[in-house]
Amino acid sequence: MSTTQMDDTMFRRTGQKTGTMLQYGDPNFVNRVHQSTADKFAHGAISSAQDAQWVKRETARAELGNWEGWRDLSEQIRQHCVRYLPDYLEEFSDNVEKRGGHVFFAQTDVEARDFITDLVKKKQAHKIVKPKSMVTSEIGLDKALLKIDGVKVTETDLAEFILELDDWDEPSHLVFPALHKNRDQVQKLFAKLGYTGDNDPQHEARFSRKVLRERFLEADMSITGCNFAVADQGMVNIVTNEGNADLSMAIAPTQVVVMGMERIVPTLREAETMDNMLVRSAVGTKLTSYCSFVSPKLPDEADGPEDFYVVIVDNGRSNALGTEFEPILQCIRCASCLNVCPIYRNIGGKGYGSVYPGPIGAVLSPLLQGDYGDFHDLPYACSLCSACTATCPVKIPLHELILKHREVMMNDKHMGDLISDTVMKVVGMGTGHSSLFRTALTFDHVAMNAIAKKGVKDPETGTRVPDTAKNLDENGKHEEWMPFVFGGWTKVRDLPEPPAHSKNFRTWFNKRKKSQIAEAGGEDAFRKTQADILAKNPNAPKAFGTYDNSVSARKVGREQTTPLSDATVPTALGSIEEAGVGDYADRAKGNADNGKKD
Amino acid sequence: MTDRETFLNYLAEKSGRPRHQLKDHPLKPVNDLPETTMSGHSQDELLEIARKNAPAVHVDFQTTDKAGLPAALDKFIAAKADGKLLLPTDDESYSAFGLTGWRDGLDPKPSFWVPGAGRKANIDTANHSEAAIGFADMLCAESCTITAPTTPGQGRAFHFLPVHYLSVICKSRIVARTRQAMDYYEPRIKSGEIKTSNLNFITGTSSTGDIEMVLVVGVHGPLDMTYLVVEDM
Repeated sequence: MSTTQMDDTMFRRTGQKTGTMLQYGDPNFVNRVHQSTADKFAHGAISSAQDAQWVKRETARAELGNWEGWRDLSEQIRQHCVRYLPDYLEEFSDNVEKRGGHVFFAQTDVEARDFITDLVKKKQAHKIVKPKSMVTSEIGLDKALLKIDGVKVTETDLAEFILELDDWDEPSHLVFPALHKNRDQVQKLFAKLGYTGDNDPQHEARFSRKVLRERFLEADMSITGCNFAVADQGMVNIVTNEGNADLSMAIAPTQVVVMGMERIVPTLREAETMDNMLVRSAVGTKLTSYCSFVSPKLPDEADGPEDFYVVIVDNGRSNALGTEFEPILQCIRCASCLNVCPIYRNIGGKGYGSVYPGPIGAVLSPLLQGDYGDFHDLPYACSLCSACTATCPVKIPLHELILKHREVMMNDKHMGDLISDTVMKVVGMGTGHSSLFRTALTFDHVAMNAIAKKGVKDPETGTRVPDTAKNLDENGKHEEWMPFVFGGWTKVRDLPEPPAHSKNFRTWFNKRKKSQIAEAGGEDAFRKTQADILAKNPNAPKAFGTYDNSVSARKVGREQTTPLSDATVPTALGSIEEAGVGDYADRAKGNADNGKKD
Repeated sequence: MTDRETFLNYLAEKSGRPRHQLKDHPLKPVNDLPETTMSGHSQDELLEIARKNAPAVHVDFQTTDKAGLPAALDKFIAAKADGKLLLPTDDESYSAFGLTGWRDGLDPKPSFWVPGAGRKANIDTANHSEAAIGFADMLCAESCTITAPTTPGQGRAFHFLPVHYLSVICKSRIVARTRQAMDYYEPRIKSGEIKTSNLNFITGTSSTGDIEMVLVVGVHGPLDMTYLVVEDM
């Protein structure tokens, strides 16, 4: 495994640049955030969506039961596929070709984009329909297609169709791309196509049905993404709620599938498991309305693609292979990490300035580029709260990978600026020497008092309180401004002033311990009393460190999934017990037999 | 484009793992939750689970016996078809459900998805149909999902272009979850016993929440969906 995690990249090895079309908007992160947060509707819509999705997602997961067991299985499937990626891609491409399709491999976005645009010209396609696909956005396909004379491109997912009408506005969410648009904006955009109705979403959606139905029927090519590619069948699995992908694939005689190379599963069974995990995590339902497994049409079938092309895209994904960032390739693009992220909630999708926003974008975007040029700010757009890691259905340790990016930037790439480097050095010295640390604790109150402020006087209670700091010392003072990097905190919330040395926790603790020792009749007697209390506490061994199952205890690259023995079977409650059960294949066969026709 | 061997060798070199190791390291699942979840239900129980789950996916869930099937279908046609009904070409299923005579006696005459009629003709017929009645292989109770592989007589667009849709399903073909459906299809597609290019799992109507997260039922596919489970088959 490489020790400098971002050194061994596609660019270094082959000279080919990757991830060149990911970035959009103002290149300055702070400017982007200001622009994004200025959109009050979008800000409110994201908050509402996060709250609503929380309820739906957690309900759907609870209904399934034993969610942690499902996460273990999904993590294992995805890790296994990444581990044997070349073998599965080889098997998949062989099977697509057996079905009459064609498979092409692209190491870069430019290579994939140019191949598809050349194919469009060669096939003389004029009317292209596209269901929503992140990877086609990643390779900048829409803009390239629009440059071809006589080619009309229609995004058929309702949200993407809305963005297309708004001069190809960028998506702000992986699953709900037009989250930042309100019904009035949609009404105005649809008016461009002759819509004269009101702003009722039902009426607007019905109008889009009529317009898009015509586009489906006249299409000569569909360009789709791929949720999962099924290696042993050579089939492509696509899930939608609107049915736009199915109509696109059924009607257009040529289909081009663009897939990120890691989106592979061994068989239809694993595709089924992953679909269940994806849909519950993405939209909080058991399954989407349409879940399809497609390949080139057979000679005696009427519709479906006669010409079927699959373009398998690396575009910097391989930069993660063999490094501590490899778990990011487990991602199934459910966007549940966005839906729990407090930073995404505040800065919105456009604040990230990447096709991939949110925690997944903060990890993936620099990796796809293979450097920190455009996205060096994104790993800092994170509070390390770990909500993303906790919700991820395939157990990607997202916050740890974000932290890893910071580590690489600081330790390997030396990307810190003079001020932050100096501050960190001072903090490192202060916290690295006990005498300095104690001195800091002694004088923090005195030092901070100079810039501390009294709060606003509450007319009802007569007390002075700041806007946000609640745990104030009795003097009621707080910090509203601090210098250097510390000001990042006080820009968004007040900080209570540290208490005077004589009133801080350590002073209180020492005094209390002394009085307890005196009460117990000496130090030895006090230790015995404490040991007796611990002995009676059944949780004490866990609490005191012999077993730590917390997320933070998991270290990237150290956790291995070890398959259970054939004789191991989960109980209905999900606990693992040894049982005399036959091997997995026999059990699977038994279940398959249960589904036979009567 | 990059040559396949170059592409795959690069991945192997970058990951530090040699190619062609999979045959010695097949996937051995850490648990069998897909097989055991919701296992052990009788067909009666599965029917009730599916019925209970139907409203969440906007499905009008109906049951009938074989004798009552033609009347139930006639009622759907009268309410939805407006003289433009689309049916599959599938003699085996009509015969199994006892519907051959019913089909032949329909007035006005329905349209059919016709094997050999070609892409344009079949799509055009489906697009002008108000209602379709299709046959499903299975019904997955947990998610209220019907499964339908594409056949020459029941194509892909058959399920998506008509405005209203009814699916006829045999009670004995209700399974617990999509896993059991996949356990059925996986070996049969692989062996060639089922010849299809496309497998559709359909769960209720098409829907969207793309405008202000407001749920709109019926977007590109059918505006409504009826499942008709035939009980005494």
